[in-house]
Amino acid sequence: MTPKEWLTEFLPAPDVAGKEQALKDFANYVNPQKVRVMRAAGLDIIETQRSGPWVWDADGRKFLDCFTSAGSFNVGRRHPRIIAAAKQALDTLDHGNFLLCSRQKADLAHRLATLAPGDLSCTMFGTGGGEAIDFAIKLARGATQRPTIISTINGYHGHTGFALSAAGRTSFRAPFEPLMPEFVQVPFGDIEALNAAISENTAAVLLEPIQGEGGIIVPPPEYLGQVRSACDRVGALLILDEIQTGLGRTGKWWASEHYDVTPDIMTTAKSLGGSVAPISATLFTEELREFLIPNPFIHLSTFGGSDLACAVALEVLNVIEETDLVSHAAHMGRALFSGLDELAVKYPDVIQEVRGKGLMAGVQYTDDSMGPRMSYHLSQHGVLAIYSGNQPSVMRLMPSLVVEESEIDLLLSALDGAIVDLQEGRGPSEDAKATRRRPVRTAASSS
Amino acid sequence: MADWDEIAEALVDYTKNCNTNERLRKMQRDWSRVLHFACSDSDVTFTMNVDHGEIISTAMGHAGAPDIVVTTTSETFCDMFWGDLNPVQKYLRGEIKVKGSQEDVMRLDAISFVIWPDA
Repeated sequence: MTPKEWLTEFLPAPDVAGKEQALKDFANYVNPQKVRVMRAAGLDIIETQRSGPWVWDADGRKFLDCFTSAGSFNVGRRHPRIIAAAKQALDTLDHGNFLLCSRQKADLAHRLATLAPGDLSCTMFGTGGGEAIDFAIKLARGATQRPTIISTINGYHGHTGFALSAAGRTSFRAPFEPLMPEFVQVPFGDIEALNAAISENTAAVLLEPIQGEGGIIVPPPEYLGQVRSACDRVGALLILDEIQTGLGRTGKWWASEHYDVTPDIMTTAKSLGGSVAPISATLFTEELREFLIPNPFIHLSTFGGSDLACAVALEVLNVIEETDLVSHAAHMGRALFSGLDELAVKYPDVIQEVRGKGLMAGVQYTDDSMGPRMSYHLSQHGVLAIYSGNQPSVMRLMPSLVVEESEIDLLLSALDGAIVDLQEGRGPSEDAKATRRRPVRTAASSS
Repeated sequence: MADWDEIAEALVDYTKNCNTNERLRKMQRDWSRVLHFACSDSDVTFTMNVDHGEIISTAMGHAGAPDIVVTTTSETFCDMFWGDLNPVQKYLRGEIKVKGSQEDVMRLDAISFVIWPDA
């Protein structure tokens, strides 16, 4: 079966009134400003049907999903094998008692150990990326008995306590300070800065192999190896956050494989849940597990690695492996980057740079405002893509790994059309105001 | 094209609306910024100082190091400060240019939303 043979075209009946009611209710009971901003940006999409790399808005419009919840839908949305596994699990399982040992947790942990780089053979489960990072940092501090965590400026690791303390974006941290002590940020890709910051007080260096939220920043080829050496020199641990970059996204199972570097701790989440189950995993070495032998209940999570989610995640790994999605992502990535490079040549006033690996692409525009504006224009061309939160001049393109060349062509064509719209100053139609507050000036009053 | 007097009149109204809105003041109490504005259709520039959510001064010309620089036509500035347009729509049309962090852009829009929810 090719990656998308299972797809069926399905057009839900448009329900504009239902969509408006959903937006109204969301505004009333969740956040009105979010609705206002999304509406203005052309992203007021109420998802209905989701299938493979596609999603439908309640008003009937169909979008190629290139945001994929920041890379959470690597196997596509509602893959039939994943849905079948979830249904089967629901027939017999539930979350499970988190304090008990479980068949499903054991199976998934075993499988992850066979796929992980190096000798990362042990797993702690969680419900999301932030929780996985929190545990990674706790383990690093606990195992090394050192306080300092070094992360990178513009890095993104989630919004929970330890993870937020490591966030490389001041605006995420500032309202909640004081956060955890002994967190230091250094520029990503700058080994001199890291060498100056690292010491025998350093428990771990935490970074993404390729910064995602930071604007799809690919480090110099030698950087990760140099970071590994710096950690080894002072006895610090290397934590790689593969939450966006892992599970085939960059054309390898793990992005660290591009650099031939093995971390001491690695996190994975998002796509591990196959678009239907929240789950994350922190993988680490047996040596680090020693810390947990006398402390087997030191980190607990009621729903982390629930039996249901583990059953789904196991099938996700099967699908990625058996449909050769990793190689497929590499192949589709080459087609995507070839087209993006051509667009960069065609529109040098708009595209400054194209970068990334596999199906993790970043388009660096020449101006900050172009990220939000291109999100709008792409939505008008049937593509859901959202600019990078830490770098609004960068458009993230992270479609499901099941995309095929025809869809890559569609994306490139949409980008071309969106750039033309941008250059011609098109945009959302302006709401007509019934009454204006601004006084009308007469010639006499203005003289 | 609006002249400085017209923009200043709009700013007076905007400042009054912001500073007398208790909900907005509470919401923006952690926001202190220097904003520079530049008219793209004239030489008029002006500066707004916000201190813990309160607009403490608006004056012609640029003063201080800006956190945010907003550029658009004098007419759009007037309409924006009178609450007669949705600044996000203008921003997405490329008619308002903002240099600064995305958080600050969101803050600016949130001010409009709180004062004029229907704008």
